[in-house]
Amino acid sequence: MKARANAMEIIGATMVASLVFVAVLAPILAPHDPTRAVANSFGDPAGPSWAFPLGTDALGRDVLSRIIYGAQISLEVGIAAMAVTMTIGVTIGLGAGFFGGRVDFILMRFTDVMLTLPALLLAMALVSVLGPSIRSILIVIGIVSWTSIARVVRAEALSMSQRDFVVAARTLGAPPYRLIVRHVLPNVAPTIIVMAALGTSGTLLLDAALSFLGLGVPPPTPSWGRMIEEATIYFRVAPWLATFPGLAIFYAVLGFNLLGYGVLRRRAR
Amino acid sequence: MRPDLNFAVLRAALAMMAMVTVAGCQRANDNFGFPPDAKVLRLASNDDVPSLDPAAGYDTASWTFEQAIFDTLVRYGDADVELHPEVATAWESSPDGTVFTFHLRKDVRFSTGRPVTADDFKYGIERVIDPATLSKGMEYYQEIAGAADFAAHKKPHVDGIETPDPYTMIFRLSGPDPIFPHKLAMPFASAVPREVVEKWGEDFSRHVIGSGAFKLREWIGGQRIVLENNPNYWVKDQPHLDGIVQELGVNGELQWLKFESSEIDVLEAIPPSEFPYVMKTPALRALTLNKSTVTTEYLGMNCQMPPFDDVRVRQAFNYAINKEKLIAVINGRGVVARGVLPPNLPGYDPEVRGYDYDPVKARALLEQAHFPRDFKPLLWFRADQTGEMVVESIQQDLALVGVNVALKPVAWGPLLEAIRQPKNVQLFMSAWEADFPDPENFLSVLLSRQQFGSNNDAFYSNPEVEKLLDQAALISDMKKRYAIYDQAQLIIIADAPWVFLLHPVQYVMRKPWVHGYIMNPMRPTRFEPIWLSPRTSD
Repeated sequence: MKARANAMEIIGATMVASLVFVAVLAPILAPHDPTRAVANSFGDPAGPSWAFPLGTDALGRDVLSRIIYGAQISLEVGIAAMAVTMTIGVTIGLGAGFFGGRVDFILMRFTDVMLTLPALLLAMALVSVLGPSIRSILIVIGIVSWTSIARVVRAEALSMSQRDFVVAARTLGAPPYRLIVRHVLPNVAPTIIVMAALGTSGTLLLDAALSFLGLGVPPPTPSWGRMIEEATIYFRVAPWLATFPGLAIFYAVLGFNLLGYGVLRRRAR
Repeated sequence: MRPDLNFAVLRAALAMMAMVTVAGCQRANDNFGFPPDAKVLRLASNDDVPSLDPAAGYDTASWTFEQAIFDTLVRYGDADVELHPEVATAWESSPDGTVFTFHLRKDVRFSTGRPVTADDFKYGIERVIDPATLSKGMEYYQEIAGAADFAAHKKPHVDGIETPDPYTMIFRLSGPDPIFPHKLAMPFASAVPREVVEKWGEDFSRHVIGSGAFKLREWIGGQRIVLENNPNYWVKDQPHLDGIVQELGVNGELQWLKFESSEIDVLEAIPPSEFPYVMKTPALRALTLNKSTVTTEYLGMNCQMPPFDDVRVRQAFNYAINKEKLIAVINGRGVVARGVLPPNLPGYDPEVRGYDYDPVKARALLEQAHFPRDFKPLLWFRADQTGEMVVESIQQDLALVGVNVALKPVAWGPLLEAIRQPKNVQLFMSAWEADFPDPENFLSVLLSRQQFGSNNDAFYSNPEVEKLLDQAALISDMKKRYAIYDQAQLIIIADAPWVFLLHPVQYVMRKPWVHGYIMNPMRPTRFEPIWLSPRTSD
């Protein structure tokens, strides 16, 4: 029996869809160029007004437009970094779970070692070495966050490889490559999708943290984490500068989390 | 617009945190070891003081304290950049500007009680010239006859510094230098007691003894530095303060809160976020003081690296950057730069126009120069929040004329290291503050060929300019001297090795009970004239 989609899943999917909508239509939705000075609020950020609903920052840029364009970069980084994470995590997890034995031991001890390294510190060190750019951030986020995915996929693959249909295929002489791609992977896929949705919120946060520390996508590209960083010195006099991008991050992370947990719950039923 | 409610809540929370901190270590009541009624000036700074050794310190924080602890032969006035007597009562120079004679006071003593003589000044300067000391002030005294022989250990003393009697000093130079006395007003040339330096060696910085108005009482690295008045000080009615306490490691925002709660008496840097509010509030604005610094901030362009080897590109950048906006971004704390020299430097020419903001002209020049469309120059700058805002504003302006600049934030040390390498950095933010008030200190130090790899980081060189600079340096008639420097500056402006950005204006705030706090355009404020009336609870 196929379980019905639950409310959590629907809300999550709607939130994510709205984000994608905003990101794709940013050039149409944003009232102003996010990098240009459009108001005369230099050095003294202006509060929300009719012309600029979320105010303007100390360089005269429209905060609303920056948040709308920020959705682009956040989604781009969040989803692409998740793809990198997944590629690494699924490959290592499948390999370890399917082959077992010595391969499993080596891959999993390596994973354990990676787990002991603090993700944010490792990410900061790697970005400093590679230099801040979109590409290096994708790679870095991938490198530091594949471990939990590898462990979950390994557990699934381990149990799959003992199932009768896999054993049967193996007995019929199917090569390991075919066994993994045709029999194990499709059955692990639902888990992977849930992990991806949940993990995207993690990569969004990591991207925001890196941007906040000045190691994210370099300016003038607007990114939410960087907007918060630039707003810190104005926090006491212009709290809206940090609040709105903060809410945007909150919304995006909540959306992906609801989606992920919604799918998880439906499958668990 | 200032949301008062949020502010009040936050302030209450921070005040509570501050109270807990104070209660925890009981510092508010014990007056830092001074008697309860002692007049102690309380300050705070973000960074520790690099050094108190006059041969070593070469920055504002070090000089602030060195000029309180040590004496030089001559000094600048409290508010001006003219030479006044300090330990020297009078001085004269030979007509050709190569021999300078100083007559010293006889009543000056170190804080230990030992009288100060000409030998103590000689020892101080020889220490700076000695390569083993690794002093950054070395270059300023190379022109004294025999300095090179002394530095190479061929002579036990510098021949060009004579002390015929304990209270007369004669300097003989290897060539004329009319502004030599200014170099003796730098803390490098302070009177230093040999016996104390030899006792402590490299640790002298932590155990300094001088003849200035104050002496070091306590210096706990990263925590605080405490000075107390020198009972042997030779100026009878100074200093007025019993002591000075500077807390170290207090960041800008926290300094602001401490100033608001009267835990410190002077706020040396007003946070950019608070500045507009301060200026809009008459009661706070009345507490501010400001000075135009003798400083020029600029965007350097490496003249040896294409496309910046093309003068049209460099001129285009000068037209493209909106300096008025830049100054607005830093809350109006600056004056538009029209050329290399700042307005309050003697020899400044108010007629110099420089480059106005003109993006249309900039576009035209870039087109003429065939500026490559897909070229993305990298702009290096010192990574701090104000610096970031400034370069982002520049980035905005350049984008409007079709130049997309990438930004590279780096720490100060590595930045200096990088820009000094030839053909390494295309664009960089930099600034120069005068050491002494003469155009030479800007033009020769920053834009002559012999400073390649040192201070001429734009790698700019024009034979015509070099000739004028060499010629001007020897001229004692100030009017003639300035006219030639002016000529050189006009050529430099046309060649545009920098985008001439701005001359910063520095603002401080002091509590109403602080009197005699006088800002000097070129040097840190002196503590000697400061006095305190009873503190009121505000």
